[in-house]
Amino acid sequence: MARGRELFRYCATRLALAPLMLWLIASLVFLLLRVAPGDPVDAVLGSRAPEAAKAALRSSLGLDQSLWNQYFDFLSKLVHGDLGNALINNESVRSIISKTLPASLELGITALIIAAVLGLAVGFSGIARPEGKFDFAGRFYGIGTYALPPFWAAMLIQLVFAVMLGWLPVGGRFPPSLIPPEGSGFLIFDSVISGNWAALQGSVRHLVLPACTLGLLLSGVFTNALRLNLNRTLKSDYVESARSRGLSEVQVVLRHALPNALLPVLTIAGITVASLIGGALLIEVTFSWPGIAMSLYESINQRDYPVVQGIVVAIAALVVMVSVAVDLLVAVLDPRIRY
Amino acid sequence: MAVDLKNRCVTDRRRSRLQASVLIGFVLAFSQSACQPKRQSERLTVASAGRISSLDPALASTTGVLQVLSALGDTLYIRGTKGKLQPQLAASKPQFSDDGLSLTIPLRRDVLFHDGTRFDAKAMAFSLKRFLRIGSQRYLLNDRIAAIDAPSPFELRLRLKQPSSSIESLLTSPYLTPVSPKAYADHADRFLNDRFVGTGPYVLNSFRNTQQRLLPFRNYWGATPKNVGLDLINLSNSTALFGALISGEVDVLLSNSIDEDQKRALSERADKALLLESKGPAMNITFVTLRTNSPPLQRQTVRRALAHSLDRRLISARVSYTQREPLRSLIPPSLRGGKTEPWPAYNLATARQLYQEAGYCTGRRLQVPFTFRTNVPSDRLMALTWQAQLKRDLPDCVQMTLNGVESTTVYKQLSEGSFEAVILDWGGSYPDPEAYLSPLLSCKRSEGTICKEGEAVDGGTFWTEPGLQAALSRSDSLQGKARLQELRAVDAMAAEGAPYLPVWVVAPKAWAQLRLNPPIFNGNGLVDLAQLGERR
Repeated sequence: MARGRELFRYCATRLALAPLMLWLIASLVFLLLRVAPGDPVDAVLGSRAPEAAKAALRSSLGLDQSLWNQYFDFLSKLVHGDLGNALINNESVRSIISKTLPASLELGITALIIAAVLGLAVGFSGIARPEGKFDFAGRFYGIGTYALPPFWAAMLIQLVFAVMLGWLPVGGRFPPSLIPPEGSGFLIFDSVISGNWAALQGSVRHLVLPACTLGLLLSGVFTNALRLNLNRTLKSDYVESARSRGLSEVQVVLRHALPNALLPVLTIAGITVASLIGGALLIEVTFSWPGIAMSLYESINQRDYPVVQGIVVAIAALVVMVSVAVDLLVAVLDPRIRY
Repeated sequence: MAVDLKNRCVTDRRRSRLQASVLIGFVLAFSQSACQPKRQSERLTVASAGRISSLDPALASTTGVLQVLSALGDTLYIRGTKGKLQPQLAASKPQFSDDGLSLTIPLRRDVLFHDGTRFDAKAMAFSLKRFLRIGSQRYLLNDRIAAIDAPSPFELRLRLKQPSSSIESLLTSPYLTPVSPKAYADHADRFLNDRFVGTGPYVLNSFRNTQQRLLPFRNYWGATPKNVGLDLINLSNSTALFGALISGEVDVLLSNSIDEDQKRALSERADKALLLESKGPAMNITFVTLRTNSPPLQRQTVRRALAHSLDRRLISARVSYTQREPLRSLIPPSLRGGKTEPWPAYNLATARQLYQEAGYCTGRRLQVPFTFRTNVPSDRLMALTWQAQLKRDLPDCVQMTLNGVESTTVYKQLSEGSFEAVILDWGGSYPDPEAYLSPLLSCKRSEGTICKEGEAVDGGTFWTEPGLQAALSRSDSLQGKARLQELRAVDAMAAEGAPYLPVWVVAPKAWAQLRLNPPIFNGNGLVDLAQLGERR
């Protein structure tokens, strides 16, 4: 009962801190964008537009207001859930996010699954013979994939599997000859729901290369985390005690060591979601994947303040939500955790 | 016996390796043929760089958007393949009034919008007025047009603020593509990003930022497209574009955004008859801007010495494998109307003589801090090559130091006079010499040869010449050859003063698979997508 109350208090604190974190992030982004060189007006009108035309546009966009006024305007709109409109084409930022976020989530979730399955399998494979060939290969794999520069790996994979072998599409999210199914924006899900098998096949074919690349690059983290935790767990007293009770090694590993070794991996998976967004940028750009990271990249280049602010706040909210959820899950699963 | 066994083992191992290799080879070959993208429609797939955030002509500025708009809509006039002005939605050439302050344009009577409504003078006036209200580049028209009238259903009249012969070229711009007043009734004062209702040979069937489908417009007034439709895709990087064409995933590649190495590789494939390559009129110029309002580049002798020190051929070869054409004029060759290039050519003897006149080469070297945009790879290569070339050719006269700055900072600080010498580029908003000379040279207020207010200040040269602005204004009241001569005279004045050093000009290119017709560029540097089709 006391633990339940503690858990509730912990949840409430975490959730109460979330808006504060979002405010801090939003304020930082607002400030950094204004400090950074460049002008959204140049992006709209071109660098050689007359100063009078630039001044007129700056005024119509509210960029001639004082920084405080712009900041308070931004915050008051944000509180009401209004992320504003893009400076470049006046499209609402909310609409831009709703169009691009499903693409990134589809890629991210698939990549995370691939990373977890691949990483955990490789990490687990060396456990039978520590310091053996598989263990060494797993260690090498873990460090190697983690150290691999994402843009280089992505380009190489693209060149080999799409250009040279022609097995899969070079880029994009959907075959140009088909019309994407309407719905949630998750094309695989929408294709299944609408029973459009050609669309499903097309979406999966386009997803394979970017998701496998991202999954491969992230899998090393899982491999190393599982290896280290499993090694440590296998040397712990309760595992020794299980062995002394005459349990087989398979039972010891699967029933006693693995569940405990997986708990820290769960935390790492939560942290990986944050790095997934950054890592996804290079993958999205390389594979022309129309996701939120690519939109962010383009908006930064165009100094489209509302879009950058909106996307960063959305990503931050997502990361905060995932990390809170993971913390709670770990807290629920691990009775040793105290608050 | 043991040796036999060993030999047999080795032979078996070799055999099994051979079998494995054959099997892998077979699997690869099979998988390659099995996994090649199957053509699911007869439409052509055309790839280009960059996403399309809006199809509203009032917002159009990037080549990608202008390219799509040129297929979905028509303009009053168009520059043909040879650069000549041809009527498109206009019925004939524009008629200027005697005072040059009014322009009458007779319109075609057989044109329908994609929504079935008729194109007439009122529709054209609606589109032009809409552009004047909300167009991102409305300053181009605002400076020229005083009023837009429709005196009769198929006659459009533009009243000008001052005589402007360059308006003819301006009317070829895809951002002045007319849109249906009925379809845009709710968007008369705001942008319509994801739809387009115009008069062009194609109708927009579906729109996404990265994919658009265009189908032929059945009631099109002109020639029917040579294809059954187009799937346009927008990829985000050079390797993807290159790979998509090589792997056969796309039929046509339109792009200036691909890396020089890959451009060269595609050109080599075209030379080997593995692809078709077409080249459009070169419209994008790259030049070095020299700050002329402070020493040492204040002195014309020094600027001319630098102009003579620039080996454009070498730089073009090193930076672009000679794909970028060396340029010695501010006007692109296709608009110059002649082959004369007024800027000083590379000449080391003359350069040395000028440096010596300016007091250099005799124990004193001219120090040139040269700025390049770090986010433009060709700028960096150009800067490095020129630095090395000067070190090789004139080590006792000039020393160049390099300074990389991100382009947004460069543009922001250009008018503040922050850069002694900086490499920049420019593409005119419409295909006319005036669209290159005015934005680079015009000056509203000056003191001697120092410009105090105007485009020359915004451009970072601060340079002008008595009579230059007058010549620019005069050219706008002239027509035809007389006008071109006047503009060439302005170009020559700039060459003499050398506030800019033109370096090269970039021509747009397109590549197509062998089974298609070669892409054809119009005078605006855009591919005529309706002409793409299977070879017969």
